Amino acid sequence: MTVTDTELVRQGSDRTTEYALQVSDLRKSFGGVAAVNGATFGIEKGTITGLIGPNGAGKSTVVNLISGSITPDSGSVKLNGEDITGLEPHEIGRKGLIRTFQISREYPEMTVLENLIVSAKDNPGEKLFNVMFRPKLGKRRDAELVQKALETLLTFGLYPLRNEYAANLSGGQKRLLELSRAVMAEPTVLLLDEPMAGVNPALIEKLGEHIVELNQKFGTTFVLVEHNLEIVEKICSEVVVVALGATLAVGTMAELRKNKAVVDAYLGGDVHERVGS
Amino acid sequence: MTVILGYAATILIFFFTYNIFTLGLNIQFGYAGILNFTVITFMAVGGYVSAVLVMPHADTANGIYYILGLGLPWPIAALGGVLASGLLGLLIGQIALRRLRSDYLAIVTLATGTLLYGLAGNVTSMFDGWQGLFNVPQPFAGFRNWTPLGYSIFFVIMAGIIFGLLWLFANRLYKSPLGRVMRAVRDDQDVVEAFGKNTFRIRMTAMVIGCMYIGVGGVLTIAYITALSPAGWTTGETFVVWAALLVGGRANNLGAVVGSFLVAVVFNESTRYLPQMPSHPNLIPDIRYILIGLAVILTIWFRPQGVIPERKNTFYEVPLGKDVNAKPGQTSLEADLAKVGE
Repeated sequence: MTVTDTELVRQGSDRTTEYALQVSDLRKSFGGVAAVNGATFGIEKGTITGLIGPNGAGKSTVVNLISGSITPDSGSVKLNGEDITGLEPHEIGRKGLIRTFQISREYPEMTVLENLIVSAKDNPGEKLFNVMFRPKLGKRRDAELVQKALETLLTFGLYPLRNEYAANLSGGQKRLLELSRAVMAEPTVLLLDEPMAGVNPALIEKLGEHIVELNQKFGTTFVLVEHNLEIVEKICSEVVVVALGATLAVGTMAELRKNKAVVDAYLGGDVHERVGS
Repeated sequence: MTVILGYAATILIFFFTYNIFTLGLNIQFGYAGILNFTVITFMAVGGYVSAVLVMPHADTANGIYYILGLGLPWPIAALGGVLASGLLGLLIGQIALRRLRSDYLAIVTLATGTLLYGLAGNVTSMFDGWQGLFNVPQPFAGFRNWTPLGYSIFFVIMAGIIFGLLWLFANRLYKSPLGRVMRAVRDDQDVVEAFGKNTFRIRMTAMVIGCMYIGVGGVLTIAYITALSPAGWTTGETFVVWAALLVGGRANNLGAVVGSFLVAVVFNESTRYLPQMPSHPNLIPDIRYILIGLAVILTIWFRPQGVIPERKNTFYEVPLGKDVNAKPGQTSLEADLAKVGE
C-alpha cells in the first residue's frame, strides 16, 4: 500500500490537535545551497516525536533554525502557538524550548551538581543588583535547587557522581547529565539532537526509559533527532522524515516503512540492518 | 630603618594594586572566559581620568596640556576614574562581546588598546601626550602634616582596605549564582544561551566589573606615584598581569593574589638588585620579562591549573537518605550505577 505525501504531512489538516511546535515552510540557504527547503511539520503537545532522515538531509539545520542559533530565510516557527521565528536562542530557551547538542556539551570545569543548578531558570541571584544588595535571595534559591538537583541526579543514577567534575564522566554518563540538566530548566518542549549518539545499547534503553518517564511525569513534549531507528520506533508515537531539506513524510514507523519514498530516501530495505548507520 | 620601612610600604602598595588588577582580570577571564588583552589600558584610563579630575587647570603657559582639571576632591575623582574604566569596558564590550569569541575578542581588545595608546600619546591636549601627567596631588595629603613615611603607611592602609573590600566582593560574586553562570559561559557559551540565559549580558557584566577593578588599581597607582605617562603602560604590562593570573591559578582569587605576589613582587623586586650594566641599560627589564615568561611556560608545562587551582564547589545538602532506598525497584545506588554501565 502506498500512502501519498499529502496524507502523511498532517500539519494543516483539520484534526483539532494542539501543537507544541509548528514549523511552516522553513527555508535556509548557505551560499546558494538550500540546506532546508520548505520543511513543514507540526509536533503535538505531550508527544514524543522522532525526526529522522539521511545524513545531510538538513535535520541539524532544522534544529538550529527552531532553536534560534541561525535565522531562517523564510518560513515560521511557532512554539505553543506563539511565533518565535528569528528570536535569539536565549529568548527561545526562556519561552520553554530547550535543546541539546549532537555532541555532549557539559560544563567540563564544573561539578555534576553545579551543571544542574546553573541550568535552572530564573535564579534571582543571577542579577548583579541582588548579588550586591540581596545575596540571600540567591542563596535561598540555590538551597532549593540543590535539593531538586539531588533528586534529579538520583533518578538518573548520577547521584554518587554529583561532586565529580563533569569532564571526568564517561560518554554515556554525559548523555545522562545532559538530560538531567534539561529537566532542571523545566522545558515545555525538549529538542534532543542525537541523544543516543555514541551510547552503548544498554544505556540507549535506559535513556529511552528516562525520556518516556519525563514525558509522562511532566507532560514534556520531546523531539528526537535520531539515527537509531530501533529506539525511535520504540518510544516515538510519530516520526517526521526529512530529506533534501524538506519534509518527506510523517507517520508512525510502521506506516513509514511502507512508504516507498521514505524507503528509497532513507530506510533502504530492512530497517534493522541499517540501525546505527 | 625609615628607608627600609618606606621601601616595604612601597612594595606593599605595589602588591595591593597588582592584586586588584589580577582580581579584575580573574573576574573577566577566570570567571567568564573573556580574553582581555588590554588590561593595562583600563588601568591607564582609570588613572588618567582620576588625575585630570583631581588636578587644577592645566598650566598651558608652561606647555602643559590636559583636559578638565577640575580640582575635585580625591574620592570623587577616584570614583570618576573607576567609572571611566567601566564605561570604556562597556564600549569595547559592545563591539567585541556581541558576536566575537575567544581569539577574535582578544585581537579586538589588543587592537583597541594599541589604538588608545597611540591616541593618548599623540593627542597632547588630552593627557599631555608622551610626557604624561605629573605632579598629581596625592589623596588626603593636606589632611595633616605627614612625614613621608607616615604618608606611605597611611597609603598602605588605605590601599589595603580598598583591596580587602574588592576581595570580599570578588569572592561573593564567585559564589553567587551570577558567578556560577559566568563560569558556565566560560565552559560553553552556546549551552548557557540554549538554556534561556542572555550570555551577552552575563559576559558584559563580567567585562565591566573587571574593568572597574582594573580602574581602581589605576587610580591607586597614579595617586601614589603622582605621575603617569604612556611609557608606564606599554602592552607588555598587560601580560605581566596575565602571567600573574596564570601562574597563580585562574578562577581562584587566592591564586590571583599568590600570582601577583610571585610575578609582580618577587620577580620585579629581585631583578632590581641585579648589577646594572651601563652599556646595556635595558638588560635588567628584559631579564625581568624573560623570568616572567619562563614562569608562565613552566607553570603551563608542569601545573597548567596554576599554583592554587580553582577549587571544587560543594553545597550543603539536606540528606536524601530515605529517598535513596525508597524508590521502587531501586535497591541501592550501586545497582543503578551498574545500569549506567561504563
